[in-house]
Amino acid sequence: MKHRQTLVLALLLIAGTSAATAQGLLGGQVTGNIQLDGQISRRDSVIGSEDVPQKLLSNARADILYTNGDFSAGLRYEGYLGPMLGFRPDYQGQGIANYFVSYKTQNFAITAGHFYEQFGNGMALRAYEDRYLGIDNALRGINVMYRPFRGIILKGVIGQQRYFWESRGLVRGADAEVSLNDLITPWSEAKTRITLGGSFVSKYEDNSEVILSDIPGFKLNLPRNVATTAFRMDLAHGGFGLQAEYAFKGKDPNDLNNYTYHKGEVLWLSASYSQKGFSANIQAKRVDNMGFRSVRTEAYKEMLYINYTPAISKQHTYAFLSMYPYATQSMGEMGLQADVMYKFKKETLLGGAYGTDLHINASLIKALDTTQIGGIGTDGYTSTFFGTGDTYYGDLSVEIAKKLSSKVKIAATYGYVVFNPIIEGHAGDLHHNHVLVGDLTWKMNKKNSLRFEAEWMGSDSKYDAAVDDKRCGDWIMGLLEYNFAGKWFVSVSDQYAYNDGVGNYYNLSVGYTQGATRLQVGYGKQREGIICIGGVCRNVPASNGLTFSLTTSF
Amino acid sequence: MKKIYKALIFLAASAMAMTSCDTIDEDNYLIFSGAAGSWYDANGVADHSQRALLEKYTGVRCIICPDADVVISAAVDSYNGKLVAVSIHDSNVFTRPFGNDPDLRCADGNVMSHYFGVYDARQYPSAIVNRSVVNNNWDLFTPTSGVNERVDAIVNQEATVALDVDAERQSDGIDITVNMEMLQTVSDAMTVTLLIMEDGIVTIQSNHEGKDSNYVQNHVLRDVITDVWGADVDCNGQAGQKRMARFKYTEAQSAWDLDRCHIVAFISNKSSRQILNAAECEID
Repeated sequence: MKHRQTLVLALLLIAGTSAATAQGLLGGQVTGNIQLDGQISRRDSVIGSEDVPQKLLSNARADILYTNGDFSAGLRYEGYLGPMLGFRPDYQGQGIANYFVSYKTQNFAITAGHFYEQFGNGMALRAYEDRYLGIDNALRGINVMYRPFRGIILKGVIGQQRYFWESRGLVRGADAEVSLNDLITPWSEAKTRITLGGSFVSKYEDNSEVILSDIPGFKLNLPRNVATTAFRMDLAHGGFGLQAEYAFKGKDPNDLNNYTYHKGEVLWLSASYSQKGFSANIQAKRVDNMGFRSVRTEAYKEMLYINYTPAISKQHTYAFLSMYPYATQSMGEMGLQADVMYKFKKETLLGGAYGTDLHINASLIKALDTTQIGGIGTDGYTSTFFGTGDTYYGDLSVEIAKKLSSKVKIAATYGYVVFNPIIEGHAGDLHHNHVLVGDLTWKMNKKNSLRFEAEWMGSDSKYDAAVDDKRCGDWIMGLLEYNFAGKWFVSVSDQYAYNDGVGNYYNLSVGYTQGATRLQVGYGKQREGIICIGGVCRNVPASNGLTFSLTTSF
Repeated sequence: MKKIYKALIFLAASAMAMTSCDTIDEDNYLIFSGAAGSWYDANGVADHSQRALLEKYTGVRCIICPDADVVISAAVDSYNGKLVAVSIHDSNVFTRPFGNDPDLRCADGNVMSHYFGVYDARQYPSAIVNRSVVNNNWDLFTPTSGVNERVDAIVNQEATVALDVDAERQSDGIDITVNMEMLQTVSDAMTVTLLIMEDGIVTIQSNHEGKDSNYVQNHVLRDVITDVWGADVDCNGQAGQKRMARFKYTEAQSAWDLDRCHIVAFISNKSSRQILNAAECEID
C-alpha cells in the first residue's frame, strides 16, 4: 500500500514536472541529476575478493527537483540491483526512496515528506545522507522553520528515519538559535559576533520487546522516551573564533552500549584564528555514551543514528595516510586536534617566486578512563571527566606545497599515524606508520595536464593471516594521471606491499567528460578496509574487476 | 517583543509536550519476566537469620485467646524480627463472628487446623512453632506460656536456608518475590508457602470480663497464597544454591486493607512439613 501511494505521488510529480518543463504552464523549473555506478568483481584469493553471484552489481539514483517560486517538490529514484560491494544487502531493490514538498519564504519554511536537517553541530540531531557511505537517515515527516524576529530561528521536526526501504523509529526535535548581534540593535555593528543555540530531541520507541538481563527471570525496564538536549555557542571577534557545544542524553540502554543505563554526554570545543596567509585551529572533544539511535536493537552499527559527533582528526586524501581512517567512537573517546596553515610569501627565501604553502595537522584521540561496574541492565561503568585510557588514534602530517613555475606544482607530505585496531573491533598492538608522499602536477597547457604521485609507507605492523588485516606491512605506490583534450583523463596506479604485507593493487581508470555528463571506467583491485567521511565509516570489501560510473545533471 | 515571547513560549511548550526522558531509577532497571512460580538462579540473601514461625489457632469467642495475644505480641517485639506470628481463625465454634463483625475465618486455616489436630481437640488457643514435633506428635501448646523457650530453641540455631520475601502492589495484583539461599545442604524436597495476613482488624472479642467490643486483631491469616502445603521449591538443596521465584496474588478481597497486610513466606520440608525458615514483609 505504501509503495502504491509512493508510486502515485511520483507519477503525479513527474507528470506535473513534465508539463511544467514542456509547456511552462506552471512557470516552474525542473532540475536533476542521475548517477549510475556499476561493478563486476571476481574471486582473488590473495586479496580476498569473492565471485559476485549476479556478475554485475549496480547502484543508481536520479534526483528530480521542481521549483516554482516559494514552492518546491522533489523525488529520488534509487535502484540497487544488487547493491555494490560494501553496501548493505538490505538495499536490494528499486523504487522512490525520497519524496517531499516544500514551501519556503524568508521567515517561514515547511517541508512534508523526506527531509535532511541538522541542529548545531549535529550532536542532538543530524539527518543526512552520504551516498558513498551508503548512509541515508532522512526523516520522513514534517520539518518547520520559523523566523519570528530578526536574529531568531526556530525549528521543529517530527518524523521517522529512513531504514533502507522502510521508515523506523519516531524522532521529535526543536531547535532555537539566537544571533545576539541581529537581535540587539546596538550590537549589530559590533566586531564581536555571538550566536547562541539550544536543541531538544526526543525519540519514542515501544518498550514491549524483551531484552533479557544476565539475571535469569528478569528483563530490562526499557524507557520509551529518550531525549538529548544540547547547548551551543559561536563567538567571533575579528580573526578569532570560539565555538562550543555540549549535549547530554538520558538513560538509553541499546545495542551500542550493551544495554546499560549510563547517561550520555559530549563536549566539543573549537578555537581558531585566521589572517591572510595564516590560520590556526585547535579542537577538543569528549564523548561518553552518545550513540543516539532511533531503534535500540539495531544491529548495523552505522544505521539509524539520530545524532552525530564531529570528527576531530584530519580527513586525509592521500592513499596511505587515509589507509587507517579514524571512526568516531560515539560510545567514548577524548581527543585533541591542532591545525596550522601558513603561506610563505612570494619573493622570500622560502616562498620563492610563487609562495609556499605549509600545512601542519596533528590529532590524538584516546579512550575514556572508565571503571566497569556491571554489565547489561546496570549503569555499566563510571568515567572520570579528564581521565584517558588507551590511545585510539594519533596522527601528524606536514605538507609543503609549492608552485615551481606557472606550469609545475609540487607537494611533499610527511605523515605519522598511530592506530589502535580495537576501534575496528580487532585485537592487536598499535600500528605505527610513517608515510612519505610526493606529488607533482605539470599543467602542459589549458587542456592537458599530467600528475604524478609517489607514496611510501613504513609500518611496524606485519600481516597475520589470523587477523587478516591486509593493510599491514610496508607499502609503495605510484600514480600517473593524464588529463587531455579537456575532456579525457586516464590514470594508472599501483600499490604494492613490498615487506611484511600482502597484495599488489593495480588500477587503470579512464574518464570522459562532456558538458554535465561524465563517464568513468576502471579496472583493478580494491584492498579490503574501511572508508570514513567525517568520522562515519563503512567497510570496503576486497574487489577485483571492472567499475564504471556515469553521472549527468540537467 | 510580543512575538518573541510567543515564540519562546511555543517552543518551550512544544519541547515539554514532546516528553523528556522516561525516568527509570537504578532500582527499577530490571523487571521480572519469568513465569510465576518458576524458580531462577539469583543473587542470594543478605540476611542469614534463622527465624521462627508461630502459628496460633484462635477465635473471637475464645476467652483465653487475648491472654495468648499479649504473650505473643510481647515475644514478637522482643525477638525483633526473628519471630513471625500468624493468627489462624478456623471454622470452629470459637471463631464464629459476633453480629456483623468481620468474619476472620479462613478456609485454608481450617485445613491446617484439621491437619494438626487443633480443630478436633477444640483446645483454643493452640500454637505450634515451626511445626515442630515432640515424641512423634506435633508440639502444640497453649501459648499463654512456653513461647520463648520454643522460639529460642529455633532462632539460636544456624539457619539451614536463608529466606527473604518482598511484595509489591501492581494494578493486576500483588507481585511477591521470594529469594532463598541454601546455607546448609538439605537432601529432602522443600516447599515454599506464602500467606497473606492483616493487622488492625477491630472486632468483638470474648475475654475474662465478657466481651471487648474494640479488640484489635493482629496477624490474622486471610489466605494462603500458594497451595496450603506450599509450592515446590526447584532447588537441588546443595549449600550455596541461590534461587528466586515470583508469585502473583490476585485474590485479595476488597474488605481487606492492603496497607495493613503483610506477606509471610516460609520454607518447609515437603514430607515432614516442618519449617526451615520464615520471613515477613509489608506490601509496598
